[in-house]
Amino acid sequence: MDEWKPNPAVKPHKKRSWYLAWKYKLMNQRALRKLCQTGAVLFLLVTVIVNIKLILDTRRAAYEEEEESAQDYDDEMLNVEVPRHPVNNKKVLDVEVYSSRSKVYVAVDGTTVLEDEAREQGRGIHVIVLNQATGHVMAKRVFDTYSPHEDEAMVLFLNMVARGRILIFTIKDEGSFHLKETAKNVLKSLGSQVAPFLSWRDMWTFVGKKGGEVYGEKHAKSPALSTWGDPVLLKTEVHLTSVEDAECHWPDTELNRRRKRFCSKVEGYGSVCSCKDPTPIEFNPDPLKDNKVFDVPVAVIAGNRPNYLYRMLRSLLSAQGVNPQMITVFIDGYYEEPMDVVELFGLSGIQHTPISIKNARVSQHYKASLTATFNLFPDAKFAVVLEEDLDISVDFFSFLSQSIHLLEEDESLYCISAWNDQGYEHTAEDPSLLYRVETMPGLGWVLRKSLYKDELEPKWPTPEKLWDWDMWMRMPEQRKGRECIIPDISRSYHFGIVGLNMNGYFHEAYFKKHKFNTVPNVQLKNVESLRKDNYETEIHRLLGEAEVLDHSRNPCEDSFVPDTEGRVYVMFIKMEQEADFTTWTQLAKCLHIWDLDVRGNHKGLWRLFRKKNHFLVVGVPASPYSSKKPSSVTPIFMEPPAKEEGAVAVPAVAAAEQT
Amino acid sequence: MQKINRNVVLALLSLTSLVFLLFQLCYYKFYLSQKNGAAFSKVRGSQSGQDSTRWHVVRKFLGLISNHNIPVYLIDPLILGLIDKDIEQIRSSPDGPSPECKYFCAPRDFTTFALLDKTWKHEVGLFRTAEKMGFQWLKIINKDPRLDGMDDLSGMEIPLHYIFKLASHAIHLVIFYERSGNFLWHGPLRLKQHMDRKFVPFRKLHFGRYPGAYEKPELLLVSIDDLKVQIPKNPSSFLEEMSHSRFLECRYREARAFFQLYPDDASLDAVEFRKKAKSLLHLAALTLNNLGVKFWLSSGTCLGWYRQCNVIPYSKDVDLGIFIRDYKADIIPAFQKAGLPLKHKFGKVEDSLELSFQGEDDVKLDIFFFYEEDDHIWNGGTQAKSGKKFKYLFPKFTLCWTEFVELKVHVPCETLQYVEANYGLEWKVPVKTWDWKSSPFNVQDNGVWPIDEWDNVIQIY
Repeated sequence: MDEWKPNPAVKPHKKRSWYLAWKYKLMNQRALRKLCQTGAVLFLLVTVIVNIKLILDTRRAAYEEEEESAQDYDDEMLNVEVPRHPVNNKKVLDVEVYSSRSKVYVAVDGTTVLEDEAREQGRGIHVIVLNQATGHVMAKRVFDTYSPHEDEAMVLFLNMVARGRILIFTIKDEGSFHLKETAKNVLKSLGSQVAPFLSWRDMWTFVGKKGGEVYGEKHAKSPALSTWGDPVLLKTEVHLTSVEDAECHWPDTELNRRRKRFCSKVEGYGSVCSCKDPTPIEFNPDPLKDNKVFDVPVAVIAGNRPNYLYRMLRSLLSAQGVNPQMITVFIDGYYEEPMDVVELFGLSGIQHTPISIKNARVSQHYKASLTATFNLFPDAKFAVVLEEDLDISVDFFSFLSQSIHLLEEDESLYCISAWNDQGYEHTAEDPSLLYRVETMPGLGWVLRKSLYKDELEPKWPTPEKLWDWDMWMRMPEQRKGRECIIPDISRSYHFGIVGLNMNGYFHEAYFKKHKFNTVPNVQLKNVESLRKDNYETEIHRLLGEAEVLDHSRNPCEDSFVPDTEGRVYVMFIKMEQEADFTTWTQLAKCLHIWDLDVRGNHKGLWRLFRKKNHFLVVGVPASPYSSKKPSSVTPIFMEPPAKEEGAVAVPAVAAAEQT
Repeated sequence: MQKINRNVVLALLSLTSLVFLLFQLCYYKFYLSQKNGAAFSKVRGSQSGQDSTRWHVVRKFLGLISNHNIPVYLIDPLILGLIDKDIEQIRSSPDGPSPECKYFCAPRDFTTFALLDKTWKHEVGLFRTAEKMGFQWLKIINKDPRLDGMDDLSGMEIPLHYIFKLASHAIHLVIFYERSGNFLWHGPLRLKQHMDRKFVPFRKLHFGRYPGAYEKPELLLVSIDDLKVQIPKNPSSFLEEMSHSRFLECRYREARAFFQLYPDDASLDAVEFRKKAKSLLHLAALTLNNLGVKFWLSSGTCLGWYRQCNVIPYSKDVDLGIFIRDYKADIIPAFQKAGLPLKHKFGKVEDSLELSFQGEDDVKLDIFFFYEEDDHIWNGGTQAKSGKKFKYLFPKFTLCWTEFVELKVHVPCETLQYVEANYGLEWKVPVKTWDWKSSPFNVQDNGVWPIDEWDNVIQIY
C-alpha cells in the first residue's frame, strides 16, 4: 500500500487541488471520518466472511461431487494403461550391430531388439527396419541368402520399405552364397560400399537410411574358404527426424487415420503405406441380393503370420456380400503385428493366450475361437471358419448364400466347405457344380452351431491331447456318417507356405495347382439335388448316362479318356470293402491329385473332371453303385509299387499332418 | 501526512474489497450454474412451466442419430412413466401434433436412450458431427463379458455407455448387447481414473449402477412433443422389468482358479450329464416362464453356477427355488405336458412343499418352495419312509439375473450368503458324497408329519 503514491508528473494539478480540498474537509469532520473508517472495517469483515463461506461451499460441493460420482461408479480395478510404446523424446539413437558366425544382435539405445545365437538357425542376412522418428522396430526379417531365391525375397522386401526408414543389416554365418547381382545392387543403392564385394563367409554390418545417409558399415573378410571372417561390432548414432517428416500427408479421414497408425508402426506391406498412391483399405464390394449369410459370423483363425493375414483379409473384404461387422480375427498369442493388421482394416480382433504346444495349441485355439464366436453372436445358427493363409473367392459368400439352407435343413450334413481336395487345375471344371463328400475338407467352411454346442464343444480334445482339430473332426465318432457339401471349383485358395505342417515342397506338390474360382456371382446348379435322397437320384441318373471307359487301357494315361468335351465317363476300380483304397490311392497318385489320404469320396464314388469331361470312379464291389457296372467290365486293380513299402508310411504321417 | 495515509489506505482497501466481493459473487454464481445447470433451469421452468433446453437438446440428438441411421429408443424411466399414462392416446394418434410440451420439457439433467450394439457400426463420424453440433461426449468402455468366460481370450474393450452433453442437459446412451440365452445386457458404468468425474452427476443416472438384463423389446415409433422417437411398445412392462433387471456376471476368474485346483471332469459321463442337465434346465425355464412363475437356481445348481460357472457333473439333478407366493396349481400339469412326469410331491402349499420331476435318463428336476419369514427364508424337506420333516434356513435375499448354460435365469443376488448358508464356509471344496438330510449346513429337524396327513404330503409316483 505504501507504494501507492500519486505520481506528480502525470497527475493534473486541478485534480490534486480538488482532492486536497475534499481531504481537509473530511479531516475537519471527525465524526464522519470515524464513520467511514468503521464502515470500511465492517466491509472488510463481510468480505472475509463471504470469502470463507465461498471456500467452504466450493470445497463441500466439490467433495460431494467427488463422492457422488466416485461411489459405485469407480472402476474397481486400477486401470493401469501401459502405452504400447514408451514415449521417447530422444533425438539420437545409439545403435549397436554385431555380426559373427554363430551370433548376431542389434541393440537400439541399449535395448536388444534382435538376438540370435541359436545353432543352425537364422543363417543369412538379418534386416531390421526402424521408424526414423521414434526409433521403434517396424519389421524384422531374416533372408537366408545362402540358399537360392532368398535374395529375391529380400529385394522385394527392401523395395516395399518406405523411403526414410532406417535399415539395419547384419550377417549370421553365411549370407553371400546366393546373393545375386540384383540384390547387391539394391544394397549398393542404399549406400553400402561393401555389399558389391561381399563374399563367402564374410561378416558384415550396415546401418543406413533408405534413400539417404549411411550411418555406418563394418566388414570382416573371410581369410580362407574354411574359416569365417572375424566378428564385427558396429557402434553408431542415428539422428531421429520429426514425426511429421516420417509420415505421409494423406487427407485426414477416418480410413487414413487407421492407415497412418498402421504405417507408423510396421513395415513391409508395400503400397498400403505409399504416400503418393496408397492402395485402398476399404473395398465396398457389391452387396449380394438376398444374402442369406449376411448375419453369419466369420471367424478368422490366425497365428503370427501378419503378411498372410493381410493378404487374406484383403481378399475376404473384397468378396461380394461380405459383412465386415460379423468378422472377428482370433490371434493365437499376444502378437502385435497381426493385431495391427486387423485394426488397419477396422475389424475386431481377439488375442488368445497360447495353451499347450504344436497341434494341440492350434486345436485349443480353434475351440476358444469357435466358442467365442458363438458367444459374441448368440443369435447365429452358423459360423464361417477361415484361416489366415487362404485367399477367398469373390463369390465365396454367394456360394454359401445359395447353399446354406441345406445345412439348416438336411440333418445328414456335417458342413459346407469351400474347398475341394481333388479340385486341381486339371480335375475341376464347373463352378456351378456341387458334390457331397464323406470327408471334411476344412479350409474355409461353415459350422452349424448346434453341432458345435451339442456335440463338438463338450468333448473337444483337451490340451494334453496332441491332436489336430481337423483330424479329430474327421474321426467317425464325431462325423457319424454325415457328409459335407463342396464345390467342384474351390472357393478358397491355400497360399500358406510357412506353417506348422507346411513347407515349400509340400505346398508346391499339393496346393499350388489347386483351382480357385475367380468368376463373380456364379449361379449354382440344381442345389436341391444335394439333399440326401435327391443326391442318390442324381448319381444314378449320372451313372445311367455315363459312358463306360475302355478298361483295358492304362487309366493313368491321358488317352484313357477320349478327346471330347462335356461328356460323362465312368470307370470301375477294385475296392474290396469300404476301407480298401489301394487302387484309388494309386490312381490319385498318377492323376496328380490328393493321394496322402482318401478325400472326396461318396459311397465309394469319386467325381472329378478329366479333359473337360465329367469323370466318375466307382469302387467295386464296395460301392452301392457297383450294380451299374456292366458284367463284361473287370474293375481295374492297381498295385502299390513294392519298393515303396517303406515310403507308404511317410505319406500316412504327412497326411496326418495336413493343413 | 500519516492521517492522510490512513484514510487513503482505508478507502483503497474498501474499494478493493468491493471489487473483490463483486468478483466473488460472480464467480459463485458461475460456479453454481456450472455445477448444477438444473438449479437455474428449474427457476426458468417454474416461470414458464417448461424447460425448453432439454427439448432442444433431445431434438438435436435425435436429429444427429437419425442422420447417421442409428436406431436408438427411449428408455428414460421418468418419461416412459409419463408416456405410460397416456399410452392409449399416443398409440391411437401417432402423428398428432402435441398441444403442449408434456414429456421432454420436465426439467431433468438427463434423458436416457438405448441402442442395440449390433444395429450400429460404431462409426466415428457420429462423434465428429456431434462435436460440430456442440455436444461434448464421453465414452465408457470396458471388457467384453461375452469373452470373460473364456480361458485367456482378450478382445477389444467394448463401449457400454455414451454421454452426450449440450448446455445443461445430457443424453445418456446405454448400449445393449445380445447375450447367449436370448436376452439383452447392458454393462455397469464405471469411471476410469483419468475420466472427468464431474462431466455429469453420474449418481443420478438411471442406468449404470449395476449391469442389467432385459428381454428384447418390441418397439413403437411415436410422436410426442413434436419429436419422433422409438419407445418400448409396452412402457409399463419395460419399467417393471427395469425395476428388477440387475445382472450378476458369473465369477469366471474364480471358476478358473477352482478348476486349477480341482480339474474338470471331461469324461463322457460328465459330458452327457451336463448336456442332459442343460436341456432339462432349458425345458424347465421354458415351462415356468410360460406360466409366469419366477424361479431361481438353488442348491447344487446354484453352487455350480457360483463356484464353477457350470453344472456340477456329479450333482445328478437340477435344483430350482420358487417363492411359495408364486406357486400355481398349473405347475404340475405344465411340466407333465412338457414331458416331465411328477416323481414325487412332498408337503403341501401351506408347509414344506417340494416337487420332483423325472427328466431324461435319471436326471431329476427338484423344485423347492421357499417360505418367507420376518428375518429369514426357509424351505422344507421330507423323508418319505419316516415322514420326518426338515427345514433349511436361508438369510433373506433378492433375485438377480445371470447367464447360465445359455439361459437367462435368476440367482439370489446375495449368492455368497445363500451358498454359505447351504454349504457352509467350506463350499469351495467339492464334496461328492452328499446326504440331503444331514450334509447341508442349514438343515434343522422340523418334527414329523402327522400320520393322517401322509397320504397328502408324501406322494411318490
